[in-house]
Amino acid sequence: MAIDGISAVGAIGKSLELTPANRTGTVAATGQSGLVDAIGKAFNDAVGQVQAGEAASIQGLQGGMPAYKVVDAVMGAQRTLQSMLAIRDKAVSAYQEISRMQI
Amino acid sequence: MVDPLQSTLRIAGSGLEAQSVRLRIISENIANAESTGDTPGADPYVRQTISFDNVLDRSINAPLVRVRTIGRDDAPFKIEHDPGNPAADSGGFVKLPNVDVLTELADMREANRTYEANLQVAKQSAELLGMTVSLLKDA
Repeated sequence: MAIDGISAVGAIGKSLELTPANRTGTVAATGQSGLVDAIGKAFNDAVGQVQAGEAASIQGLQGGMPAYKVVDAVMGAQRTLQSMLAIRDKAVSAYQEISRMQI
Repeated sequence: MVDPLQSTLRIAGSGLEAQSVRLRIISENIANAESTGDTPGADPYVRQTISFDNVLDRSINAPLVRVRTIGRDDAPFKIEHDPGNPAADSGGFVKLPNVDVLTELADMREANRTYEANLQVAKQSAELLGMTVSLLKDA
């Protein structure tokens, strides 16, 4: 009986695994929006914006762009990154909360 | 819907751009305050003027500011008797630009103040955006 209980816990752990195959198998199958996918996509957008900020700052150094535009691009990138980090931290702490749940 | 604070940043940015163009025109006027024509009796540098206009930005549905025209000041030139000057006419009179440096300096101070005001608006909205995001963070 004890061994059965442990294997049941193992099964729950498996369903929580975040491997891509498992995600498409469980999250997509249940028809829920994939939080992990959404966060991943948002991170990609954030990376794009950070790169735009970098490009703007290089152009600014070469004098090809007004200073306020460079500042705006860099600050926009910083804001996006900070928002993404805050959202990621929330998601991670939610998963931790689940893993600490009494079974 | 566009975030009003993000729109504010954009609007303040247009103000910064307009005022920096204004400052550029003022600097051109001051730099050329003594620029005479290169042939006898020729017209000297003409003072430039700038005017602004509001333009609707459809992506944020708010009026931005832009430079409407950079025009020429029609005020008469200053005439000075300086027969040795290469630009002097047959009577020895030279036409000097219609630029009054004192007016330009006052105008520069005004452009400076307006730029600073727009900077403050941008600073405030960036700070508020940052504070809102930081609500997500643990205390």
